Order: sequence, then C-alpha cells, then structure tokens
Amino acid sequence: MSWLKGPRRNEIFWAFLFLLPLFWTLGVAFAYAFFRALWWSFCDYNLFAPPEFAGFTNYARLFADPRFLRALFHSLSFAIIVTFTQTSLALLLAIALNQKIRGLTFFRAAFYTPSILSSVIVGLIFIWFTYRRGVVNFLLSVVRTHHLHVLSFLGLLALVQFMLVCWGRRRGLPVQVLDPVYLWVSLLAAGLGTWVFSHLHILQPKPTPPVDIIWLETAEKFLGIPRPLWAIMALNIGTTVPTMMLFFLAGLQDVPRELYEAAELDGASRWAKLWYVTIPALRPVMFLVITLGLIGTLQMFDQAAITSGVAPLDSIVTLAYYVYWNMFGAGGLPRVGMASAAAIFLAVLTLVVVLIQRRVGVREKAW
Amino acid sequence: MKRWFLALVCGVLAFSALGQEKIVIRIAGHSVDKPVKEALIRDVVAPKLPPNVEVVFEPVVDDYKQWLLTMLAAGTPPDIFYVDVYWAEEVVRTGRVRALDEFLAKSEILKKEDLIPVLVQAFTVDGKLYAISKDFNSLVVFFNKDMFDAKGVPYPTAEDDWETLWDKVRRVHNPPEWVGICLNPDFARFLPFAFAAGMPFLNPDGTAPFARPEAIRAAEWFSAPIREGFGATAADLGVGWPGAAFVEEKAAVVIEGGWLIPPIREGAPLMNFGTTFLPTIDGRRGNYLFTVGYGMPVEEILPSKRPDLVWKVIELLTSPEAQSYILSIGHAIPSRAALLSHPVLASPADPFQEAMRTVFVATGLPGTVPFSFAPVGSVYHIVVAEALTKMFTGELSPAAAMQEAAEKLNKELKR
Repeated sequence: MSWLKGPRRNEIFWAFLFLLPLFWTLGVAFAYAFFRALWWSFCDYNLFAPPEFAGFTNYARLFADPRFLRALFHSLSFAIIVTFTQTSLALLLAIALNQKIRGLTFFRAAFYTPSILSSVIVGLIFIWFTYRRGVVNFLLSVVRTHHLHVLSFLGLLALVQFMLVCWGRRRGLPVQVLDPVYLWVSLLAAGLGTWVFSHLHILQPKPTPPVDIIWLETAEKFLGIPRPLWAIMALNIGTTVPTMMLFFLAGLQDVPRELYEAAELDGASRWAKLWYVTIPALRPVMFLVITLGLIGTLQMFDQAAITSGVAPLDSIVTLAYYVYWNMFGAGGLPRVGMASAAAIFLAVLTLVVVLIQRRVGVREKAW
Repeated sequence: MKRWFLALVCGVLAFSALGQEKIVIRIAGHSVDKPVKEALIRDVVAPKLPPNVEVVFEPVVDDYKQWLLTMLAAGTPPDIFYVDVYWAEEVVRTGRVRALDEFLAKSEILKKEDLIPVLVQAFTVDGKLYAISKDFNSLVVFFNKDMFDAKGVPYPTAEDDWETLWDKVRRVHNPPEWVGICLNPDFARFLPFAFAAGMPFLNPDGTAPFARPEAIRAAEWFSAPIREGFGATAADLGVGWPGAAFVEEKAAVVIEGGWLIPPIREGAPLMNFGTTFLPTIDGRRGNYLFTVGYGMPVEEILPSKRPDLVWKVIELLTSPEAQSYILSIGHAIPSRAALLSHPVLASPADPFQEAMRTVFVATGLPGTVPFSFAPVGSVYHIVVAEALTKMFTGELSPAAAMQEAAEKLNKELKR
C-alpha cells in the first residue's frame, strides 16, 4: 500500500475530486438510466403500476411486431445509405474547399450553414419545400418543361470540351479532360449555344403538366424504402455533410506536403494523388466520420418526429422513433417495457454495427 | 462566528414560518392560455380567495399529455391540471386523478345540471366525473359570403345535406382565385361524417368498422372535393392548415371549430363570412366535441395538501362570472348551459359572435360525440389518417383505402 502514501495519495485524492462532477453526470445520466432501462426491458411496466418481472416477453413481442421489424429495416437502410452518401459527399466537398480558390471563406461558411441551424427549423422548412406545390416540385417541373434546353446545354458542353481537349493535345499540351480553363470556355459556349437555339425557336419548352410528386404524405415505396424516408435521408444528408466536411478539412491540413511532392515527381495524375495519397492519409478521419455517421443515423429521431405530423407512421418509423412511440405515442398508458427493450436493442445494434464496420470497413490506422 | 450562525438559523426559521402561512395553488396549462388565464386569475379568481392563497399559472410548452403522465408518475403534479377529452380516460386509468363527485355534490356554485350534458359525459369514466370542462369546441361550416355572392350561389344552410352542400361548393369553386373547399385528409373531420352515416366506433364483434358500406359511402363523399377537383388540401394552397386558407381568402368553405374565430378576427377582421351546422345524411348529423377540463391529483400527491382550496379554485375558474368573462373577450366557448342567454350568444352582433353561437348550439345537437378514441387509442385514427391520405393522393380508391384501414386496425386490435 505504499503508493497510497505521501504526495501520491494527495494527487489521487485531487484527481478524483476533479473527476467527481463527470462521474456524477455519467452515473446519473448514463449508468443509472442504462441499468434502469435494462431492468425495465425485462418487466411489464406502465409508469404507474409497480414493474412486474416478465423475462424475455418484451423482446419476444418486439420481434413479433411488424412495426418493429419495419423500423429495424428502415433504420438499417437509413444508416447504410446516409452514412455512405454523406461520407463521400463530405470528402468531395472538403477536397474542393481545400484548394486555393477565390471566395473560399464564403463557400466554407455557406456550406456549413445547414449544420448550425436547428434541425427542427430545417425540418419544418423542408416540409414546406416538399409540399405538392412546393419548391422541390416546382424546380422539377421547370427542368421537365425545359428538358430539351438542359440536354442541349449538357450536350454542347461535352462536345465543346471534347473538341478543345483534342485540339490542345494535338498541339502537345498536357491538358486534362476537365481542364478548368477549357471548362469555363465550354460552359460559356454551351450557354451561348443553348440561348441561340432557344432564341431561334429550335428549342422550345415542352408544355408538360407540373410535377406532382407527393414526398411526405404518402405510403408509396421506391426500391422497397418508403418515399418519405428517402426524403428524410436527403434532408439528413444535407444537414450532416457540412460537419463531416469540417472533419475532412481538418484532416486534409495534416496530410504531409512531401507525399504530394514525391507523387508529383513520380508523375502521378491528380486522380492518382487523390486515390493513393489523400484518401489513405485521411483514413483515421474517415473512420471517425463513418463511425459518427453510423451512430447518428441509427439513432435518428428528430427528423422522423417532425415529419410524423405529415407522413404516415409506418413510412417513417425508425428504431428511435419506435421507442418514443411506445412510450408516449401509442395511446393508453406508456409501454415502458417495450420501449426499454427496443432502446436496449438499438444500443446493442449500434455497437454491433460499429464493430462490424471497424472489422471489415475502414480502419483507424492510416497505413 | 457563532452569532452569525444564530442569525442565519433565526432567518431561516422566520422565513419558513412565513412560508407556512402562504398557500400556493399551481395550475399548469397550455402555454398559449397564459395571458387569458393570468387575467382571469387576477380579475375573477384571486379577489374571492383568502389573502394568503396565491394562484399561479404555469405554462407547459411540451406535449401536454406526455408532461402530465411523467409528472403524475413521479408524484409531482401541479394542484390543477388540464385534462383533454382526447386522453382523459388514459390519464384517469393511472389512478392518480381524483374523482370530483363528492365536491360537486356539496358545491353551491357548481352543479352537474349547470354543465352541458355532453361535457359531463366527456369526462365521466366508470360513472365518476374526473374533470370540470372549462370550455369546448365543435365543428361547423365556415363560408365566405362574398365568394358565394360573386358566383351567385346560395349560402350553405342548416338544411343542407351532404349532396346539396357539395353541389354548392362545386358551384362556388373558382380557380385560380379560390377553391370551393380547403379540406385536409384529417380523421377529425372525416370521422364525424362516418358516424353520421351510421358507422359504429367498432363493429358489435369488436372488429374495425371501416369496411362497412356506411364508412365507404362517407369516404367517397368526404374525398370527392379532392378527387373531383373542386377542393384542395392546405398544402396544395401553400398554407399550414385549412383555417389559414379561409383567412387568406383562398377557399370559400372550410370545416373548422371555434378556434378559427380569433385568426379571422386578427387576419381578416372585415371578412363577410357566415357559419352553419355540418350537413346531414339521411337526416342525421355527426360532430366531435373538443373540450379541456380542470382536474386535480389524488390527495397523496396533491402539492398544496388542500383539496378544499383546490376545488374552490376550480369552482371559481368555471363560475358563471369567469365564464362570461371568457365569453366576452371571445377567447373560447365556456361550458355552462345557461350561457346561451348571455347577450353574446342570445343576440350576436357580428359574424364572430354568430360563429360562437353556431358552435355552441352545434355541440348540443344529437350526434355529437366526445373526441376520444378510448379504449382503442391512437392507432384507431392513425389507420384512418393513412387511408384518407391514400384516397386524397389517388393512390387508392376510397373503398380500397377503407378496406386496407380495416385490415390494419384488425391486426392492431388482435395484438
């Protein structure tokens, strides 16, 4: 017990004293709540009558409940699709914003805005956007009416760019397919060409009925996933990408310059540098982003709760919302046992998914 | 040091002695009620209470039922809380809400007979009354007279049945200026019509009634404006709810309750509008009664420990004086039957007071049922809402949608 004597003991005493507030919150908000929920998940309990031990009945009931199975399917597909998309988009955005371009600060701030807004407010605005006569359908209608213009623009763009690149290479210049200077010229030419075509009435807007997609108030499915859930995925990606982008931006600052210089000496193209230098170097950050993404998406509640006022329950129910619904939404007294069992299941599932990801997906180490 | 300590102890003792004298009665209600309830407490309730009794209104911003259930479960409820007819039975079943019959039997100010019978029925569970209705609402037809005049269509009247009302709405439909009716796929609008058509709450064998011919007939009629294009949903008109479409003069007709009166007063005070009862089907009418009452917790968890005083406050809040006060500021429609002779209701001076009278009378008509889904719970209206959404968007025909709703509810009922 010699370590408990003298200055060492003093140190330990002070360390624990300073850790006390943290232990207290951890103990009350986490450990106590967790073990209470764990106990309740084995009980029949409604907040009012004393809890009665019921063994695994609640878990058995969960798996017999089609709504729970649907919630499980929704949560898993939501987690996989959103995490994949948001990680890729965040990486691309971060790489784009890591260049020396004009107005960089503006773009960084603009892209980050969705993340600093309250998700409830963004959710409400999103509901307005997805009205039948809302912004989303309006923009789609515009595109549909003018699809010939869009096609002609894209066609011209590709054509001009192709011709420019061929011309450049013939003159022996080391031009890339997406050379920025040529791209600007092609953009201008394509815009001008489309404008001329439409002025000469070669291109005319096709009178089509307005796009009438019902985004939220529907039970229809696309690829087996309800359309409202797709809409929530889009919303979730839009609001989380900026935060993830920030992580990648921070990671990009840490990639050693020498690696790029060495790669350039070896004649690596931009694509090769991205694939063989940047992405491997970013792996620890990517691990963080994917893990946070999986945890966040599996536990997604707020956006489902906001849209629950508009969309049918079975089209948006996720595991976290299922927990809430059993507690307060289903009518009758709270089904604390079922809610706790679902919550414990969600916690275990999150842990398992993250472990699997670590095992077979992106690891923490760079090389 | 000792002297300081002594002074501190004396101070604490003196303070707690003062505290014992003062009794605080806490009322927790919806946060939107705060200004009105505080004025009511100040002007009507407080003067009639002993000076050491203070009544405090505590606004609840959360989902009220969720808040109340957790407070009751934790044993920390307020002295008086709101009880919504929508979840009254659930909360009573917790066993933490006190039956008020013994107080009512002794009361001088408040008798069961004073209250509108359907309001007593709304808060009665197993023969006992658990809350005193503070005010109420029911559905009526709001119509914009100028739009009907412009199209030369006669106004909707109390004599209208389903077909004649839709006929008028079809004729007043005038896009793109305004639509005939703004109607949402809202179970709280649809179900009263289904009940009027003869659909029971559940079949005699306890199964879902939605596949019955009466229910399908109601669904076909109710969704006709959207399916046939002489109406639109609020979202289609770019507003948050049908009432807003009416205030913004985007719809000639809406089916709403007295809650639409304040928004019209604020948003379109000069609007030339009228109100009438819901249309009939085979001479029958349906309607929902929306009401909120005052309840108190059982004595063990009553914070003030003074049920007599708490009851006194409930009495004062629902006294004739308090109710005419609420009526005259046009806030809500109070719960005493005798108020029909109040000048605001007896001889209404403007469309707003007329609307209040229509709502008041409509509530008392046969066919009005409390807005409650006990003993089934919210799954009942969740499946109806999904069916309505599907027929409004054209995903399913009314018959198919109702069939699906019946199957879904039957599945839930079996669990």
